[in-house]
Amino acid sequence: MRRTVIDFMGKRKIFFAISAVVLLIGIGSLLTKGLVFGIEFQGGTVMTFQTSGNTTAEDIRGALDTAGVSDARNATIQPTENNMFLVRTSEGDSEKSTAAFRAVVQELALPEQDVTVTTIGPGWGASVTNSALLALAISILAILIYISLRFEYKMSLTAVLALVHDTIIVLGVYSLSGREVTPNTMAALLTILGYSLYDTIVVFHRIRENSRNLQKQTFMQMANESINQVLMRWVNTSLTSVIPVACLFFFGGETLKDFAFALMIGMLSGAYSSVGVASPVYAMWKEREPKFQALKKKYAKITVKAS
Amino acid sequence: MDPKTRNVVALATIIALVAVSWWLFWPLNTKVTQGLDIKGGVQVILTAKPIGNNTLDESAMSRTEAILTERVNGLGVSEASVQRQGNDSMLVQLPGIKNSEDALAALGSTGRLDFVDLRSIATSENLAYGVKVPVASYDASSVVVAGSSVKSAGASIDAQNQPAVSVEFDKTGTDAWGAYTTANVGQYVVILLDNVVQSVAQIREPIIDGSTQISGSFDAAEAKRLSAVLQAGALPVELEPSSTQIVGPTLGGESLRQGLLAGLIGLGLVIVFMIVYYRGLGILSLLSLGTYLSLLFGVVALLSRMGAFALTLPGIAGLVLTVGLAADSSILIFERFKEEVRMGKTYRTAAKSGTRHAIGTSLDADLVTFVSAIVLFIVAIGPVKGFALTLMLGIACDLTVAILFTRTAVILLAENVIPKAPWLFGLKGGDINA
Repeated sequence: MRRTVIDFMGKRKIFFAISAVVLLIGIGSLLTKGLVFGIEFQGGTVMTFQTSGNTTAEDIRGALDTAGVSDARNATIQPTENNMFLVRTSEGDSEKSTAAFRAVVQELALPEQDVTVTTIGPGWGASVTNSALLALAISILAILIYISLRFEYKMSLTAVLALVHDTIIVLGVYSLSGREVTPNTMAALLTILGYSLYDTIVVFHRIRENSRNLQKQTFMQMANESINQVLMRWVNTSLTSVIPVACLFFFGGETLKDFAFALMIGMLSGAYSSVGVASPVYAMWKEREPKFQALKKKYAKITVKAS
Repeated sequence: MDPKTRNVVALATIIALVAVSWWLFWPLNTKVTQGLDIKGGVQVILTAKPIGNNTLDESAMSRTEAILTERVNGLGVSEASVQRQGNDSMLVQLPGIKNSEDALAALGSTGRLDFVDLRSIATSENLAYGVKVPVASYDASSVVVAGSSVKSAGASIDAQNQPAVSVEFDKTGTDAWGAYTTANVGQYVVILLDNVVQSVAQIREPIIDGSTQISGSFDAAEAKRLSAVLQAGALPVELEPSSTQIVGPTLGGESLRQGLLAGLIGLGLVIVFMIVYYRGLGILSLLSLGTYLSLLFGVVALLSRMGAFALTLPGIAGLVLTVGLAADSSILIFERFKEEVRMGKTYRTAAKSGTRHAIGTSLDADLVTFVSAIVLFIVAIGPVKGFALTLMLGIACDLTVAILFTRTAVILLAENVIPKAPWLFGLKGGDINA
């Protein structure tokens, strides 16, 4: 029977090394460079201007200054598709920002348009962060309980380990790339918590099934075989999940891009960590159990064979 | 139930569900409520702070919610909504409204109305309309009547044909007002709203019927706003806008179009991939995805009808994400089925036990995601909620489709079609059952 057998478990040290390096880079960047937080976290205003094509960012900056926006010089003005400009200022007062919006439209004789202004007060970011951290803690706890009940506690702890791994990687990528962290990022990150476990659950299901009649094989060999048995599932489910999210990232417009980026990184990392982190750590832990230690002594020398 | 009956019942149920869904959601653009970030309007998140020594307890928040709802209704915005968010915030949505400044002023003001004798205000300022009087300049005992005694208020026109607000007091207010006006004819009373002078009026005669008129230099729109605030009563807390989003309908529509386009491209690519890789079963997954989307939009339309759902941009991201999730269930079912066929089982047996095992796996994998979506929905605030809700609905529909439709279809195909053309399904022939 044609069947590829890859020795994932034998290469676990390589996986661990890769993870360690990526995590170290991520944590290093988080500690030194930190994260760029969106206006939602500092308070400020985002406005969207529709221009007719011959307006430059400097024109807008000038008009903002004339309109009395306090630090127009430091406003970020970012051109987006269809001659639109995304302008961020530190103004925390919605009425002033709305007035400034109208003034700029008039000053630059921009096409008639609806006011599109988002103003966030300075305290908002803290409450979003707090609720996100609370959700994170409760999520992890709920996932631990669920997997412990349906599987066993060793699986739940290794699954959560993989989850923390994925979370740090997503945050690390945000830190390295300097992408802005918004409440949308947080939402995506929290979803990844559950979703990055999809592959892990698929693998664990198979390991549990195979461990019921474990004979003439070490736990590690059986785990490796399990991964190989669900290999195409692992590849294909990861692909079909990433494809729509990648489309969202490339074609979805500004707000949706934000979600899609965090989701995409988290999914890829989640797919990797189910095979590279959760499974080997779980198998190593299980091999310490007396029952499986005996098997290890007896069969460890037999290398992986095609089934 | 014997297997044949089970299959028939499962298919009949799913067909009925799809039919009901289409009836519920078609046409999509009128049956699914669009969120504010899509159809345009003003969305404000107001965060409450306690006044003085009061605490932000449950009763203060629910009273705030009730008052805000009444004020919003007083503004005459259709489909406006007020929702609690977290412990200390209120989400107010005013769809389609253009003049955000007025609405914000009406929502955010505390709405504390005081009638104070001019003589008891210690200030050197000329008390004209719009002047802010420091709280410390008069003490609570000099307040003749407070806003809490207002029974009803409405915009009206005064004797000089100027916009005014008519106020009617309750029993306490009527008594206090009557006693004061009887004893102080010729004196001046200052009417303050949130410490801002609304009008300074001379008492010409005792007013004992409990009604009075406030007229200042305000226009008709302000009179309407003021009466909406007075009618609803004063807030037990102070409200600060912590997030104000004003979205123009053109931009929102553009975002929706881009999101849907991205979703459709993603869906198309997933289907192409499934057909290339799984051939005949890939075509089945096309049907599964179609069924899935039908159910999902059906539920979304149903919730829209009940006023419990609005499609926001984060919600669209959630929808697109679940397309992948739905494809995952099909993949698990197909792979397990093929695996069992390879192990030498007959198509019929492989279909039965394979689909059962696969659904067990996707149940666990889906439920783990569901668990974190629930936590997100309950705990999180802001845009996150809409995302979590669509994710939860998606998972529920996905499991329904996998159990009722995909599983049954694989079993029926394995019995009737696959043995005749195994190559069409990426399987080798020579099955003993063929």
